[in-house]
Formats: sequence, C-alpha cells, structure tokens
Amino acid sequence: MALLFASLFLVPAILAEAPSTPWEETHSFSWEYNFETGFISTSPLFIGEQLLVRTSGHAEPSVTAFDLSGAKIWEHTNPESTNNDMSPLLHVPAGQGQCGSWPEMVLVGWTSGLVEALNPSDGELLWSTQSEVVGWGVTGELALDGAFVMIPTRQGIGQYCLADGQQQWWTETGLGWRNGVAVDETGYFMGDEAGQLWHINRTGVATSHALQLGKIRHAPLFTDAGILIHAQADSGSTIGIFNSTNATLTQQFPAGFSPAIPVLQGEYIVTGDSSNMRILHCSSVCVVLDEIPFHTNGEIGWFDNGQIFAPSNLPDSNWGFFTFDDENNLTYSSIEVGLHGYGTASPIQFSDGVTTFTAFGNDQAILRVYSNFEENTTLSTSNLDLGAQLLLFGMFVLLGFSSAFLLNGKREWFLRTSSLFALVLVVLLLPDLSSQWSKSFDEQFSEPASPEEWNEQWPDAWLGTQIIIFEIDGEEYSAGGFVGHTDVLSLTQVACEALDFELSGESTELGWYIDSINGIEGKGWEFSVDGSKGIISVDQSMVFSTSIVRWTPV
Amino acid sequence: MFQAMGAHGPTLSPLTSVLLDVVLLGCAFWLLAKPTKRPIFDSLFMLTLVLSVSLIRVVMQPIPNVQPVTVAALLVGAQLGARRGAAFAVLVAMISNIFMGDGWWTVFQAAGWASIAIAGSRLSLVTSTGFNLGRACMASIVAAFWFDLIVSFSILDGTIGFTEFIVYLGHGLPFDFLHMIGNLTFAIWMGGWFTRLLEEDPSLEEIEFAVVNGHGIDG
Repeated sequence: MALLFASLFLVPAILAEAPSTPWEETHSFSWEYNFETGFISTSPLFIGEQLLVRTSGHAEPSVTAFDLSGAKIWEHTNPESTNNDMSPLLHVPAGQGQCGSWPEMVLVGWTSGLVEALNPSDGELLWSTQSEVVGWGVTGELALDGAFVMIPTRQGIGQYCLADGQQQWWTETGLGWRNGVAVDETGYFMGDEAGQLWHINRTGVATSHALQLGKIRHAPLFTDAGILIHAQADSGSTIGIFNSTNATLTQQFPAGFSPAIPVLQGEYIVTGDSSNMRILHCSSVCVVLDEIPFHTNGEIGWFDNGQIFAPSNLPDSNWGFFTFDDENNLTYSSIEVGLHGYGTASPIQFSDGVTTFTAFGNDQAILRVYSNFEENTTLSTSNLDLGAQLLLFGMFVLLGFSSAFLLNGKREWFLRTSSLFALVLVVLLLPDLSSQWSKSFDEQFSEPASPEEWNEQWPDAWLGTQIIIFEIDGEEYSAGGFVGHTDVLSLTQVACEALDFELSGESTELGWYIDSINGIEGKGWEFSVDGSKGIISVDQSMVFSTSIVRWTPV
Repeated sequence: MFQAMGAHGPTLSPLTSVLLDVVLLGCAFWLLAKPTKRPIFDSLFMLTLVLSVSLIRVVMQPIPNVQPVTVAALLVGAQLGARRGAAFAVLVAMISNIFMGDGWWTVFQAAGWASIAIAGSRLSLVTSTGFNLGRACMASIVAAFWFDLIVSFSILDGTIGFTEFIVYLGHGLPFDFLHMIGNLTFAIWMGGWFTRLLEEDPSLEEIEFAVVNGHGIDG
C-alpha cells in the first residue's frame, strides 16, 4: 500500500501538464527573431532601449541590435571570426581616464583575436585592436579596470585603453579557454587549461598557482572565504576555494561534469554542471546550502529580483527557473519559452520603465522575448492535453480500485489492478529513468580506453576543443573546433553540417539511432568516444570538452 | 540488456539469413513432429497460437521491452510440454521478426524463449489444483532477466570486451525491470485463462483406455 500511495503522488508529476511557474503565469510571449544559422552562446545585452545579441558559428558572426518591438536596428559583422564566439558582450559607460575620454560603448571580443568597441546606438566602430591568436583569439570574459579594459587572450592577458584601444602591456600566462578575468585591488586573476590560477598585478607581472583541480574556464569569483573556482576535469569537476594570501586551497567540493560559469551575489554563489545546480554560501568558509538535479553547462542568469535562469544544455530541453528562499531552499521548475534543445546563453531581464522583458536565446540562433503582465486568474483550457488527462484519470481509477480490492480481500483483482498500474507507471517513467540511469552508470563505471591521439595535421584552433572523425571509403574526414556539446548526437550534427554531410537517423523510445552519414548507410555505423566504443544511443552518450568522436561504418 | 541502440551484433548476408531461417524452421518442425505425429486439429491449434502471439508481439512493439511472448512461452511449455513449447518459441520469434526485423538476434530470441518454455515444462506451474499463480509470477520475473541476458549475447561480435559487455548489461537494467513488470502483469491477468486455453482434453482413445484399464483392474 505504501508503494501505491507513493506512486499516487508520482503520477501527476509524470502525466499532468507542467504546472505553470510564477514566471510563466506573469509573462507572455512578445516577439522573436530567427537568425537562421549560427548560435547564440552568450547573454544578450540591454543598452539604451536596445537589445544587443551576438551570434556566432560558421555563419556570419555578428552583433545585432533590436528595438523593444523586435525591429532590427543595426548589425555589425566580423566574417573573420569563424569559431564559436563565447566572450560576453561588455557594456562600458562613458568616462574619462589616463588615456583620454570615451563614449558609452559595447566591447566585443572575437575568436579571431579582434576586439572592437562599438557605438551601441548605431553599431559604428569606435576603435579596434588585434590581440594574439593561437588557434583561437578571445574566448573569455573581458573586465573593466578604471580607464582600461583587461582582455584575456589565448595565452595571456593585456591591458588596453578604453579611450582608443591602445595596448598598455601584455603578459603571457597559460593556454586559456573562456578564461575570464576578475579584478580586485591587487590586480587581476584568471585561470588556464592547465589548471593554473594566475595573478597579474597592475604592471603586468604574472605569478601562477597550480591548483591541479582541472581546467579553469570562467572568471574567478571573489568571496569572503577565498577565490572560488569551479574547475573541470575528465572525471567530473571540483569547486575549490583558494586563499590567495597563503596560496593554499582551503576547501574542495566535488561536482559533476562540464561545469557552468558560476555566478555570485553578495555572499551567495550559484554553480551548475551536467548533474546539479547548487547554491553555496561563503562567509569565512563556503557551505553548500542546497542542490537540485539539472543539466547546465554555460552561463547562469541571476537577476536582482532573485530569479535564477539557466539553459538546460540537452536535446529537446526546456529552461530551468530557480528561486532561493529564506530557508536556504533552492527550488526548480521547468519553464516553456518555445526554445528547446541545446543552449549555453543566460537570458537577460531588462525594463523600459513600464514593462519588464526577459530575452532568451539558444544554439538554434532564435531569440525570444517575453514581457510581463498582470496575473490572469482565468484558467486557460487551451493547454490541457486530453490524452494525458484521460491517462491520468485512468491511473487514478486503477489505483482506487486496487486499494478497494485490497481492503475487501479480493487478492486476485488487487494483483491485477496494481500490476497494470505498475506497468503503466514504469512505461511512462522509462525514457527518463533509462536516460538518467545510463548517465549515472557511465559516470560510475566509465572504462579506461586507449584515447584517440592528436593528429598533427589538424589546425591548432582545434586544440582543447571537440573533434569528430568520419571514416568513409578508407579516408578520414575530420571536423573540430566545436565547443559546448555534451552528447554525441549534437556533436555529430554540427560536424556533419560543417562538412556538408547529410545525416539521417531516427528517434526511438530508446534514443537516437544514426542510419546514414553522407548518404552511406551500409550495415550501420558505430562510434567511439575517446577510444571507447559507444554502446548506448547517440543522444545519451556523453562527450567532454576535449572529446574526439570517431564514426566508423560497420 | 536488450534493444540498446547502436549495437545490433553482426549483420548477416541474405544467404546466411535464409540459412538461419531454414535451420530454425527445421528445428521447430522437428520438435513438433516428435515423438508422435499430432492430429490435424492439434497442428491447427498450434498454428493459431503461434500467429496470435506473434501478432500480439508485433502490435505491442511500440512499448519497449514489454514481451508477452515470454510468459506465453513459459505457459505453453507448462501445458504442452518442452518440445511444443520450444517449437512455439522458435516459430513466434521467426514470424514476429518478419515484421519487426530479422537478423542474428532472432537466433538468440528463439533460444531464449525456447529455454524458458523448457523451464516452464519443469516448474510445475500447473498442478492438479490448477494454475499456480505465485510460482508463475516468480518464474516470469526470472524469465525476464534470463531472456534479456541470452539476447544480449547477440551483440558479441568479437569487438566487444568483457567489461564493455558488462557495461552494456548494466545500461539495460531499466529495460529488464520493465520486462519483469510486463511479465508479472501478463501472468496475473492472462495466466489462468491462458493455461485453461492450453489445457488438453483427453481424446476418446485416452478415455476408452482409462475406462478399460479401470474395468480390467476391477475385474
């Protein structure tokens, strides 16, 4: 009986329409813009009644400005930047300093190494400067420091005048990736792919600390307990607290794969990864207050009203909406914003003084903007799924009869109704259950394999990125430089697009099955990830940030 | 263990497929023909049974790893004996796979269900007091895991190591669990009715033999 009653509480969670979140109840769709190609990998920016969005990928990488009704105002393109641009746009208010004065502008760091200052009102180029390129150029978060902008380059950091973009100095550090800069009174902190935390003083003298936690792919966060790092390793990730005074790691918290970029508000920090979202409180020490299962690998949006948004970086997924209450509970609900699938860009909330807008963008390069409205208490029936409601009703009836038969001592009919109820329940749970089980199983029992080796003929730009190889007619076709993909399907799709290969597959209850690649069906296709043969469906097979996937015809 | 996507074992050439089907069909007929020739009604009944269960399997294909054939094989074995149970299993695997996809795995499915039918014939699922539901439920649970294990062997094509195979089995556990629940449901709902359907009425010859034998003893 206990099982049955427990199930009773599970059923609505499985079948019923997702209950509207407070956010959904107070926001309505306003407008959308489809860029058709490329990705929106970073949060949009709102400046002076305009929404600025950067898109990137192999399509024309650009920054595009829209007014509040969704009309495009201007577009600035950098055709040289052909990789995924992940450096967030940076708003700079007008000011003056040692190098002179500057107007309000938006700074754009490109993977081509170019850094541009644009006039946000019309997209006019105010100045530009070329930074170093080692395969990739700028991928990390720029930071302001008085009259200067600190630019994290592929292997270093440079100080540039905001007034004219003149380089003041540049210092070599380690090879970096999304190596954002954090500024404090002593200078600057940034991490690298070797797991070193760098401190650079204001004259450009750099010292490093080998934390050995993994790759540092975000701007370090300053807390009262120390510098917080969420480092990425092959076997998961670690949240580390570093005391810069005595150069020691004071705390470590194990976490899941592919960490998101952590965010800080006061003494609270929100982190994410492929397993959980969690909130920490850092005063003299850091404490994990709560965590909730969720899969996110990019930016996290945490707004002044306490609302936290995170893109779920999974196929066909919705967005995560989180709130944090006074009792240290992190609550999660999935919100439907009409954008499904992979995404790493945080949404942005902004206001025109009357209406609050929230803008979402994801890897499909679609921007959707929602505006808030007065709560409407009238129940809308348009979203009711009749089939699901009937199934839910049927399950309640089964459960009711089952209980009645048990109480009346009718053992046979109790067994019949309860077994049917259990069967329906497990069938409904199976897709999610098997997916989660496979992921957990992989994480626990991933076997050692002889990894794919780096091919010297590959361009340097592919270093530290995701690469895919197709074996066709005895020849190898490779594509690389991909980032942010968490499963084989997503990586294969983008690689086929890059190589102009036709990809066909079918979705089944058990996941995706690839039928043919570049028109070749043969006897089927097999894949391996970092040398390990794939044995589950492509959308459930995880890839890491530097994974090499190989497709071989059977 | 079963139906994991991306791994389907070795792919057979058309000739090998035909040979395999001939061998399976031969096995089924051999099992049905021995030890005694069956009356035409018995054969028609078996044909109807095979076609019906095959159809149910095809119709239930969209529900992953809910396999009515497993419980059916168990009960056919229990009521009609190991030989006819195994023949039933082989024929159902072959016929349903014509629609669901034939291949190397058919051999393993046939072997899995045939072994379950043989087990069914030995487990006293039907006794003089009738259908033993408790024992049938236990048997159907074990049968689910056993069948999925047997079918999992079909992915071994020489390129998969022991560890990979164990990982493969581990990934399939949720599906094994579903198979188990499905079997339980079938056993509870259909077990009694199905065993009665399969119950063989004694022939006139057998009745006469029993009566004469009884009189002889009396005399």
